[in-house]
Parts: sequence; structure tokens; C-alpha cells
Amino acid sequence: MNAIDTAIRAAAASITVKGLTKAYDPQTVVIPPMDVELKAGEFTVVLGPSGCGKSTLLQMIAGLERVSGGKILIGTREVQDLEPKHRGCAMVFQNYALYPHMTVFENMAYSLKVAGMAKAERAERVAAVAKMLGLADYLHRKPGQLSGGQRQRVAIGRAIVREPGVLLFDEPLSNLDAQLRHDMRVELADLHRRIGATTVFVTHDQVEAMTLADRILILNKGRIEQFDTPKAIYHHPASVFVAKFIGAPPMNILPVTGDGSALRLADGQVVAHAPLTGAFQLGIRPEDIVVDGKADGHAVKAALRFREDLGSHSVLAADLGGSIVRIATPFGADIADRLELLLNFPTSRLHLFDAATGRAIPGAQ
Amino acid sequence: MTSESTLFSNRWLPVLLVSPFMLLIVLFFYVPIFQAFYWSFFLEQPFGGGSMFVGFDNFARVLSDREFWQAGWRTIIFMVTASSLAVLIPLILAVAADRKIRLSLPARNVLVWPKGVAGASIGVVFAFVFNPFVGLLAPLNKAFPGIWAPGIDGTDAFITLIAAHVWSGIPFNFVILLAGLQSIPRTMHQAAAMDGAGPWRRIFDVQLPLIMPQLFLTLVLEFTESITSAFALIDTITHGGPGGATTLLVYKIYKDGFSGYDLSGASTQTAILMVFVILLTAAQFVFLGRRINYER
Repeated sequence: MNAIDTAIRAAAASITVKGLTKAYDPQTVVIPPMDVELKAGEFTVVLGPSGCGKSTLLQMIAGLERVSGGKILIGTREVQDLEPKHRGCAMVFQNYALYPHMTVFENMAYSLKVAGMAKAERAERVAAVAKMLGLADYLHRKPGQLSGGQRQRVAIGRAIVREPGVLLFDEPLSNLDAQLRHDMRVELADLHRRIGATTVFVTHDQVEAMTLADRILILNKGRIEQFDTPKAIYHHPASVFVAKFIGAPPMNILPVTGDGSALRLADGQVVAHAPLTGAFQLGIRPEDIVVDGKADGHAVKAALRFREDLGSHSVLAADLGGSIVRIATPFGADIADRLELLLNFPTSRLHLFDAATGRAIPGAQ
Repeated sequence: MTSESTLFSNRWLPVLLVSPFMLLIVLFFYVPIFQAFYWSFFLEQPFGGGSMFVGFDNFARVLSDREFWQAGWRTIIFMVTASSLAVLIPLILAVAADRKIRLSLPARNVLVWPKGVAGASIGVVFAFVFNPFVGLLAPLNKAFPGIWAPGIDGTDAFITLIAAHVWSGIPFNFVILLAGLQSIPRTMHQAAAMDGAGPWRRIFDVQLPLIMPQLFLTLVLEFTESITSAFALIDTITHGGPGGATTLLVYKIYKDGFSGYDLSGASTQTAILMVFVILLTAAQFVFLGRRINYER
């Protein structure tokens, strides 16, 4: 651990959002009043489909977008009316936004120069960060002479060289190809473990969210759907939206009706016993469905439509009472030439959601 | 490299398509220029009727003429001040328009209109605008009699010329510079703001370096343009006066050649001016052009 790591760990500040709203006019409300607290040193991923307000939230924290109402606290300081430079945040942009006319060194040193830091100290600080990110050999190059991954690292270096209390990422991996994205994800996780900066990372990629986050904040139309650890979000989704957004392939959602003793599918087959009455949405993850085997649930019949062989496992699509369910099954299951499947939904793996609101029904799993 | 044959089936077709334009520039540019260079080595009869080879006599005569050097010196002063202002003022306007300050949208349109006005018309308008009796500065003369007198004072006349030239140069340079500024990605501004740079600092650290190609282009064009296009303004506003104070080289060439019938002298000066412009432009490319980063 060197001086930079320690300094950033010490500077890490919490972010508290109180009643924060963003509206361009009364009709276009991007973010209705939002309350959330991100702990110091925590890696939070803000996840949601495009247009859910996640970038707007990030830009409001950064100070690049005005807030329409409410408060943002970094540490104990109210910052919503401060200029970006007085907030102690640093940001990594989607397209990196490196200064093309400056060398890697100048890019990283620019904020220190603007802040009036002495030249020798600047050089020392940049050298330390460059070493940490493996950029020491590229300091004299211009961004145009670097690869995508290297540019990404320069952008990260430019952000952490200031030892910011808060590190903001705006979809930083979406411009990279698949392999590089995977590598950078590992690097980012490793970096966070070392420097421990409070990090807010915006993405629409659930894999990035699951692998990087301490906690995931899922946004839908500016509202918080769920804010929890990746594990909790995966195993206990708070709503149909979350259930469908996380997981590949996503969770199966089937309409069911409770008759007071059992939950029935649209075609009348019983999937589970429960003392419930009314319409519900039943969720089950593709990998939790057991084909042919014995489990603690009820067996239902489904018609196989097609299968995708992914090598490590196969994904089957079957028609169950008019809805398509996806089943992830270990490679080699002898189902290739059958048209009818016997599916078993283990009761412990079922998720039940309100038919109208889509919210999870507590204790029903 | 793709060969032309993939674009044109007939090899003479491209030649045919280019020929009208080639004919024009050969007829109205290369032939007269060649003629000027040729005449600069001959003593030409003013009303036609043969010429006599005199070697470098014309050059010796022109270069020892005090008036030539004065006109040359004025040309350089005009070139430097007028071109700098003709780039600087549009630059300021473009930065303001790019910031989306109030009224920048109508201003953007209004600023482009002068492009449609011919040099001579601009001259006539500015002769009126700067008229000491009825022009914009007339009230100043009422308060301090004689303070603005372009008809008598050479400096005032020179200022009038520069103002007219700069005004006519605004639209083109403004459009080019604004286009350059607007092509800078928004995140670049945001990144600089996150790095702590305020709006003024961003102009010098981010915007200006990134529009260097556009600034270079406008500057090169302005430098050459200021030497030649001043003619229309001089001819309509000052006629080279008062006392030769606004006689730039182009105007002197015209007067010597077409009023004084010194065709050889005028040709020689044309040749000299031509070489000067070529050298100047080459120097700009060598010293400035190489440092410019065209990469975004």
C-alpha cells in the first residue's frame, strides 16, 4: 500500500441523498423525490435500463447537472449548490474524455495544476498513480497513441490522482470489446479493494453490477426498485422489474391464481400449495427448474419449443400454459428429441409477486 | 489506392469534367501571372508596340523606390493588424455563441449575412459609416472638433480600412471557428469542469487547443486575403489617400499600371508581392502547421 492508497481511503466520504428530484418541466420528471445513503468506501452500482435516470443521478452528484429539489450531502457537507470542483468528486466518462492535445502525464496532472500544486509534487503524485495503473511507460504519449484499455486506465488515473472523496463512473466499460471489458472489470474490482474510494458506478450491464458492487441500486423510471447486495438482489428480488432485470436468461414470470389452497397456472395445473386467494405473478429462475427429476415441488407438463446449446449448459424454452418458460439445464440432459417435458418447480425457489403492483409478497417464498 | 478507371469508365471523362474550371483558372490566373513575371523582365511600351528585354533593371528600379517600400510596409501593418483582428473578433463571438449566451441564436444568423456583401459595397457603406460629418463618429467631432478626420489624417483613414476589412471577414471566420468549437464533445467540458477548471480557464486549456486547425486555417486565409482583397475597400473608401497613407501594395500596383501606364513596374511589383505571399504561406505551414494536432 502506498501513499495514494492511504490518502484516498482516508478521504472516502459517504453520500446522502435527501428528497432529491430532477424535472425539466412539470411534465418531464426524470427523478421523483429520492432518498438514499451510500456508505463511505462502498462500491455502489446504479443499474437500470436506458432512460431510467441513472446518469442524471450521477451528474447531479458530480455537479454537472442542477438539482430541481432536495439535498445531496457528501460526508456531512451539503453540496447540491456547489461547483463541481468544490465537491471533491472525480469522474470517469464513457468515452474517457481525455484531452487529446495533452500527453498522458499532462492529462493526469491537469487537475493538480489547476489546483495550483507545485510542479515537483505533481510529478510525484502522477508517477505514483501511473505506477499503480501500469502506465509508467506511456506518460509521454498522447491519448491517440493508446489502446482502448490504456485510455480507460488514463481516465481512471486522472480521476484518482486528486485523491477524491468520491469516485464516479459513467458507463466506463461500454466502449470496450467483450474481452477487454472483462479484464477491466477485474482491474476495477482490484483497484477498489486497494484504494477503497467511495464509488458510484453507473451501468446498464447486470454482469458489471453483480461482479463489482457492494450494493446495487436498481432504478426504474427514476424510482428506486431495490437497493441491496448483489446476492440479496439475485435471491430475493423486491419486484418483478428487478427479477426480470437480473440474471441471464432472466427469471421466468408466470401468471398464477390462488384458490385458497393451491396456486394454479393459466391452464389449471397446480405448481404449489399455498393458502392464498387471487391473482399473482410467480417467478422462478431458469436454473432452479428441475427437468424430470424429483424435487419438493409439483410436477407440471410443458411442451418443448427449442433448445440452445451453450456448451457448459443448455437453455430450453418450453410452452407452459401459454407462457414461455426458460430452463437452464446441465449439458448432456437427454431431452434433445422429446417434445413433452415434466418440470418440477422446487417450492423453496419460488418467488411470488403481487399481480397489480409487481412488488414481492414478503414471506411467500 | 483505387485507380481512376474504377470511378470513370472513360479516361478522358474526368479531364472533360474538370476542363471548364481549369480553363477559367488558366485564363484568369496562370496566364496573367505568367505574363506579369514575363513583363517584369521587359520594358513595356505604355500604349502597346513592342517591348525590350532589360534583365533585372525593373527590379532594381522598383526596389530602390522609396514609395514601394512605404507601400510594402503599410501592406505588412495592414496584414498583421487586420488579419489578427479579423480572426480574434470572430473567435470571441464564436466562443460566446458556443456558450449559448443570451441572443446567441439570432446573433449567429445576423453575423453570417455580411458574407453576402461584395467588397466594393462594404467600402461604400463604411465610407458613409465613418464619414466625419454624418457618420457614427460625427458626434465625437462635435465635442472635439477635428478628432476624427479620415480625409486628412492618414491614421484615421487606415483605421477605417481595417474596420471595414475586419467587418467583412467576420462571417466566414465566425462560421469556421464556431463549427470547430461545437465539434468539441460535451464531456470534454465536463471533464475539465470536474478537474476544477472554470469557464475562462477552459477556453485557454481546452477549447483553443482543440480548435487549432480551424484557427490556423482562418489565419492563413486571412493573411493572404488581407493583401489582395483590400483593393476594393481602398478604391471605394480612401483611393489610397490622404497623402498616400492608405496606398497598400495592391493599390499602388493598380495605380502604377493603369493610371501611370508603368506596366513593367506594376508587373515587377506584382511578381514581388506574389513571391512574398507564397513565402509567407509556406512559412506559416512550416512553423505553425506542423505543431497542430489534427487528432481528436
